[in-house]
Amino acid sequence: MVACASLLAVSFACNSAPQPASDGPVARELTDDAGRRVSLPVRVNRIISLAPNLTEIVFAVGAGDRLVGRTSYCDFPAEAKSVPEVGDTLHPSLERIISLKPQVVLISTASQLEVFTQQLQSQNIAVFVTDPHDLEGVFKSIAQVGEMLGQKEQASLLVQKLRERAGTVEAAVKQKPAVRVFYQLSAEPLYTAGHDAFVTDLIRRAGGFSVTVDVPGAWPKYSNESALAAKPEAIILPTGGSMGAGNSTVTEALRQSPAVLAGRVYKINDDHLVRPGPRAVDGLEELARALHPDAFK
Amino acid sequence: MMIGTASDTVVSPARPNRVTLRKTVISCVVLAAALVLAIVSMSLIGSEQLPARASLCALASLGTSACGLTRDQFDILFQIRLPRILLAAAVGGSLATAGAGYQALLRNPLAEPYLLGISNGAAVGTMIALIFFGASEWTRPLLAFTGALAATLAVYRLARGRAGATPERLILAGVIVTTFLSSVIVFVTTLMDATRIRSFTFWLLGDLSGTSRALLPVAITIAIAGTVALTLNARSLNLLMLGERDAFDLGVEVGRVRIAVFLVASLLVGSSVAASGSVGYVGLVVPHLARLSLGSDNRISVPAAALGGALFVIVADTVARTIIAPRELPVGAITALIGAPLFIYLLRKM
Amino acid sequence: MLEARDLTIAYDQRTAVAGLTLSVKPGEITAIIGPNGAGKSTLLRALNGQLPRSSGAILLDGQPLERFNRRNISRRIAVVAQEAELRFPVTVLEFVLGGRFSWATNSGWGWETDRDLQVADAVLRQTELTELSARLMNELSGGERQRALMARALATEAPILLLDEPTANLDLSHQATLLALVRNRCDHDEAAALVVTHDINLAAQFADHIVLMKHGKAVHAGSPRDVLQPEILLEVFEVKVLVDAHPVTGGPRVTPLHETHRQL
Repeated sequence: MVACASLLAVSFACNSAPQPASDGPVARELTDDAGRRVSLPVRVNRIISLAPNLTEIVFAVGAGDRLVGRTSYCDFPAEAKSVPEVGDTLHPSLERIISLKPQVVLISTASQLEVFTQQLQSQNIAVFVTDPHDLEGVFKSIAQVGEMLGQKEQASLLVQKLRERAGTVEAAVKQKPAVRVFYQLSAEPLYTAGHDAFVTDLIRRAGGFSVTVDVPGAWPKYSNESALAAKPEAIILPTGGSMGAGNSTVTEALRQSPAVLAGRVYKINDDHLVRPGPRAVDGLEELARALHPDAFK
Repeated sequence: MMIGTASDTVVSPARPNRVTLRKTVISCVVLAAALVLAIVSMSLIGSEQLPARASLCALASLGTSACGLTRDQFDILFQIRLPRILLAAAVGGSLATAGAGYQALLRNPLAEPYLLGISNGAAVGTMIALIFFGASEWTRPLLAFTGALAATLAVYRLARGRAGATPERLILAGVIVTTFLSSVIVFVTTLMDATRIRSFTFWLLGDLSGTSRALLPVAITIAIAGTVALTLNARSLNLLMLGERDAFDLGVEVGRVRIAVFLVASLLVGSSVAASGSVGYVGLVVPHLARLSLGSDNRISVPAAALGGALFVIVADTVARTIIAPRELPVGAITALIGAPLFIYLLRKM
Repeated sequence: MLEARDLTIAYDQRTAVAGLTLSVKPGEITAIIGPNGAGKSTLLRALNGQLPRSSGAILLDGQPLERFNRRNISRRIAVVAQEAELRFPVTVLEFVLGGRFSWATNSGWGWETDRDLQVADAVLRQTELTELSARLMNELSGGERQRALMARALATEAPILLLDEPTANLDLSHQATLLALVRNRCDHDEAAALVVTHDINLAAQFADHIVLMKHGKAVHAGSPRDVLQPEILLEVFEVKVLVDAHPVTGGPRVTPLHETHRQL
């Protein structure tokens, strides 16, 4: 009797729940960063990542072998390069995604949401948004992805290690006066990191003070005069990674800044600074070492 | 035969409307004064506050004395703001003059470097220079000029029909060339990496913040030389404006003038786009205003357009660099915001 | 003054003018008449160098046309076209002053001299446009605009006038005035005029010499009396005409006879 009732209940639940993923029974629901409740199968074997940082996170929690699709910008770790590409971050190929038969597609920006969700859900493919804006968000992302992929333990181990490293850095620079930092994204036109940029959080934790921290937006085009007037003590030039050659020198307006005069222009791999993933802690360490070399003897 | 100024002793009733040397000189002097005023006053405005009196004093001394400005303030004024304002003047003057030239030559008040695809041609040329010859600055205006010229030739070839290149066909051809080149630009842009796309897109919309020290004098020289060159052909353009056949009959070397105008205009557009991307509407609205207020005679409307264009872009750029300070907008967005409604208003008046 | 010798103009696989010879002498008005497509306007355009010729020669003052530069030709030959492209606002005075361009010593630049203004005033008076000199060209009526075109051609002071349907838009009174102007010029200033017209009677009245064209050839040429014969006109225009003596001038008067004429 009870068994019948529970069977009935389950079947009702099945009917009223949102479209389940095709592989295996619907076992759980996770809430993503956009507040959506996403239904996922117990075991996720096929996952596609539509952002470089998410690819890194998937590999970092030990589920890299389950990645069946990535964007053309997902270039780390090296194993990622053998995963099939589905296009770029903003306009990936829907056909390619569907043909790869993923169970979940990981996306990081809400702007992709409208475009994809309806189309993918009609194919029984779940869409999960995870969009870290700061380091704490990265740790949360790692935990989320870990839980989703059944790698909870590995994920929490990773988070613990990363937290330790970050904690060490922050403790070392705690007593030091914050260094005035200017992050130059592009020399001409002059672009910098605004309030919402991921790297702004890293700069703060590394014992720096981004002179553009109050500028609204993530990557504003900045006035040359204001850059000059800001008189930064250190300038970060993100290079390598996915940057082109357009940022190899300090912009004209800052050539007489205290940073340049003191030789404090630091080139750091921008993948460590703008990708909200595990390597952000590398970036944090590099930033801190640049800004406060004496704290890390 | 003596060339003289209009005399008042000619037997005739009150002199009716024609453009005289006197009227031209007065208009140009007034506009030039307004330009100087704009340069001075706009250099007091920016995302960083500068003390007005000290700045004026420093400007008056032409940079020889700091007049109490701090080192940074002095640098902001003379290394960042003033060069930018001068570049804005050069770009505005060049584009307006080029527009006036195209309008006269193509006998169409709607002919404009952007509409005709010339700006896009110059942009593609600049892109090639940036991608393949990134380090060498001089390749930019050079390839921009080449691109502008190529676009001009393409437009002209496309427009050649049975009845010759009528203005309507020219505009149509221009639209075809513009859209084609736009696709080329979009294509190349999408091949760039993500961060470069952002900065390149901004530049495409008109960006005067690049302070290439070497290229500023080039831009100014070309602006002045181009305006002078076109003004020296003004009388021929006056006749061309009323029909190629008529101009031919009256003694204009149509072919030669056409080549000269195309070359000069391409040079003007090329130099502007290489320096600052596509600043739209200047070549359309400013010459139109000049003709409306001063008459269609190119002897007055070309220099007036040059000076007016310089003024227009200086003001537009000041808005672009202060309205959301310390962030900046592309100046092309501002010229479009001002230019489009102005253009609609002008069209209704026609 | 102006001569065409065995002139042929062909383009686009069409022969517009074939082996035509004519000569314009000072003091003479020559009318060129013929059915549509006869090549009259093409001939006119070629005579001042605007259309390239395929063979034959055009001689200006005895020299091949090619020897002259654009400006010099314009000082000797003026064209009165049928209409003007008026896409930009110009005043009548500015328009007429355009005729002085070929006399400017600085090519492409320069300002109008006192002489230029005097000439402009004179021609405006002659074409009765003085009151309208400050008005914009596109505010004028069709007839007024044609007079302005005439005025501009006169302002060039060129001794050879080529006119393409100059009376097309003019009312009767202005038709007569305009042609009287041309006649005057030719009589008093040793000018010569070549007038392409559809109006045979006007040609008869004002022309010293008529050239009848058909299919690009000059099929007949001579004085109005010689050329305006019913048989000739029937052959060229394919219409029956009556030619009698004009009651006032005594010259030939041509009246086409239509099938549907009412019998009075």
